[in-house]
Amino acid sequence: MIYVLYTIVFVICIYTGRHYWFTLNRLFGFQRHPYIDIDTADWPPVTVLVAAHNEEKVIANILDALMTVKYPEDRMLVIPVNDRSTDRTREIIDKFVQDFPGRIQPFHRVIGKGGKAAALKDAMELVNTEVILIFDADYIPGAGLIKQLVAPFFDLEVGGVMGRVVPLNTGTNLLTRLLDLERSGGYQVDQQARMNLRLVPQHGGTVAGVRLSALREIGGWNDNSLTEDTDLTYRLLLNGWKTVYQNRSECYEEVPEVWPVRIKQIMRWAKGHNQAMMTYGFHLLLQKNRATLRERIDGTLLLGVYAMAPLTLLGWALALGVFYQGVAPLHGVIALLSLTAYAALGNLAAFFEIAAAVRLDGTRKRISLLPFLILGFAVSIFSVSRAAFSQVSDLITGAEFHWDKTERFRKAL
Amino acid sequence: MNPYLAVAALFLMVGVMLLLPLIPSLVELRGKSDALPLSVVQQNAGEIRHFANSFRGYIKGIEPTLQRCVADGTTATGILANGEEYVALGRADEALLRALEQRDALHPVVITAGVDLAVPSESTLSKEIYAGCLFTGGSKNKYRAILGENNVHLGASSQVTRWVHALGEFTAERGCQLYGRISSDSLIRLGADCVFLRLNAPRIEIGDTTLSQDATSSPLPAIANSAHAQRFFHEGDFEVQAGETIRGNVVIRGNLHIGSGARICGSVKSTKQLVLDDGVSVEGSLISAREMRIGSNCAVHGPVVAERELAIATGSRVGSLEHPTTVSAPWIQAEEGSLVFGTLWAREHGEVVANQ
Repeated sequence: MIYVLYTIVFVICIYTGRHYWFTLNRLFGFQRHPYIDIDTADWPPVTVLVAAHNEEKVIANILDALMTVKYPEDRMLVIPVNDRSTDRTREIIDKFVQDFPGRIQPFHRVIGKGGKAAALKDAMELVNTEVILIFDADYIPGAGLIKQLVAPFFDLEVGGVMGRVVPLNTGTNLLTRLLDLERSGGYQVDQQARMNLRLVPQHGGTVAGVRLSALREIGGWNDNSLTEDTDLTYRLLLNGWKTVYQNRSECYEEVPEVWPVRIKQIMRWAKGHNQAMMTYGFHLLLQKNRATLRERIDGTLLLGVYAMAPLTLLGWALALGVFYQGVAPLHGVIALLSLTAYAALGNLAAFFEIAAAVRLDGTRKRISLLPFLILGFAVSIFSVSRAAFSQVSDLITGAEFHWDKTERFRKAL
Repeated sequence: MNPYLAVAALFLMVGVMLLLPLIPSLVELRGKSDALPLSVVQQNAGEIRHFANSFRGYIKGIEPTLQRCVADGTTATGILANGEEYVALGRADEALLRALEQRDALHPVVITAGVDLAVPSESTLSKEIYAGCLFTGGSKNKYRAILGENNVHLGASSQVTRWVHALGEFTAERGCQLYGRISSDSLIRLGADCVFLRLNAPRIEIGDTTLSQDATSSPLPAIANSAHAQRFFHEGDFEVQAGETIRGNVVIRGNLHIGSGARICGSVKSTKQLVLDDGVSVEGSLISAREMRIGSNCAVHGPVVAERELAIATGSRVGSLEHPTTVSAPWIQAEEGSLVFGTLWAREHGEVVANQ
């Protein structure tokens, strides 16, 4: 028991060190934005896929925004992927098709497997451009975003691109404000540091792009994956394609406004991430592939971020256990565990990462909400652990995963 | 003391101590003083002409005054919508400009001119200038920003701190320091030893380009279609032999050396140093994660990006009039005689160096 605890504390310390490294790099290191200055070019044809499942509240906003972006009109085709919607999504899309002839080609999917990856996979029959951009329906791209996301594809090593997600409904309540802080830490510090250090920036599946030839080379969208973005990141990496992060390519999104929706969302992410860990972890770290050594190490650590929640809970339980067993010389280890546990939960962004991100974003007062992050931390650690345990039990019972769409809160136009 | 009261007091004290650090949080949560979404650039998209366009909007209201001044050959002053003082010049003799320049140190004004403007040497004009006709600056002048409806010419060793946009040609003589954004709708021509950051024009001539091949007289090969081209992937250093032709995209995880006269029918990426010898042609993009050196008389069709330093030798050209593109690196050394069509963007420092 004691050695298991030692191991857990060691792993948690590695993650804590990694977070400190990222934060210091972001504050004081060399910042890489190699493609952001490409503002003039022979822009290639691009297909913009908008994933939509019952999105009547938000679909008009994104289509409106896409029709006004600064990209050659004759080189950009928008494909709203209407996945089995039962609300007014189809009607709204068809109205846009009428209003903007030749610029929007709808893909109305009425049957088939559930989930975003399955819908995107089916929509690929309409795609014939080398560059594909993907947005979820609740995002609102700015005028220059399409060019910014396309620019990295001039680099032939780049297979995927990820932009920065910025919450729009920040001021609604405590949850949205905490998510705003968490997103800042995750993108402004975590993703950009991984970009700076040539590690593994993660494809987020929205405000993102993928190269068609790379996608074909890795076998297309994996509709068995619960998080197609993480799955894509690792398959690209194993095949020698880079995913790059563009911190200045910002796009507004809507974050969950109620805790049950947030918990569902994070549980789905955790399950998908753990699934990717089981599928690609061993291959990435130990088998022959095209990832560099630093990518292998960081990629493996990134795969493990959601496993850290149950591991931390286990560490706490073990610490209590050994304490009541009367194992004496453990004060240091337990102190270390207490000190590092809060800083170890990977994607959930440690508090000092968030503080650094808020500073980099130039905002001031919102930093005073940092103490409330303990609430987000508590919800996350138990939700993610619950997701991991239910995943194990699903494996044993053979239960199938039910894909839940994140609920929207915006008022329909 | 009553033990129950003591326990209650202890709990209360602990509760208060736990709540103390939350007071600023609660104040912010309730007051929402910093609860707006982060500002995201939604509209201007970082366009080089953004400031020039905004300035044009500011001075639109004084167009009738300026026209009247031109018709009468007089000058007028007034206040712009943003509260700044302007002077509208219907004539622009040296004495008048000298007076304006002397006044600038104490009371700078926005200058708008409806006639040709010739600014005397060693002048400092610290507000925006609108030149409705030709703009000619003397040597060692200092400007903040210039919007020219026609050609803009800066004398030797002049300095621009913010931006210049010329609808006609923009030329800067030897030793100018061009900080900020410089753009033209037709041509930018930089003299030797000029320092620059961000330039954009259909054609950017570095120094005397009469000896370099002209893109229009020697058309570049057709655009490489990277989607259908094969990707040649190599781990470690690699060399493309002189005169060799490679059909496809080249990705090298190491240093890459392309021998003279070689032709790449596709795009090139090197994760380390990338060196092009003389006369190399690349139909697609050219990307290096470190330093890049483009030899003389090379032709590159697509974007050129070096993550550290970039040197472009004489006679080389990037892009074409029909297919403008971007050249970008933190540090750029462009040798006299090189040509860029589109954007030349040195994030930290760009300079024109003498032909070696």
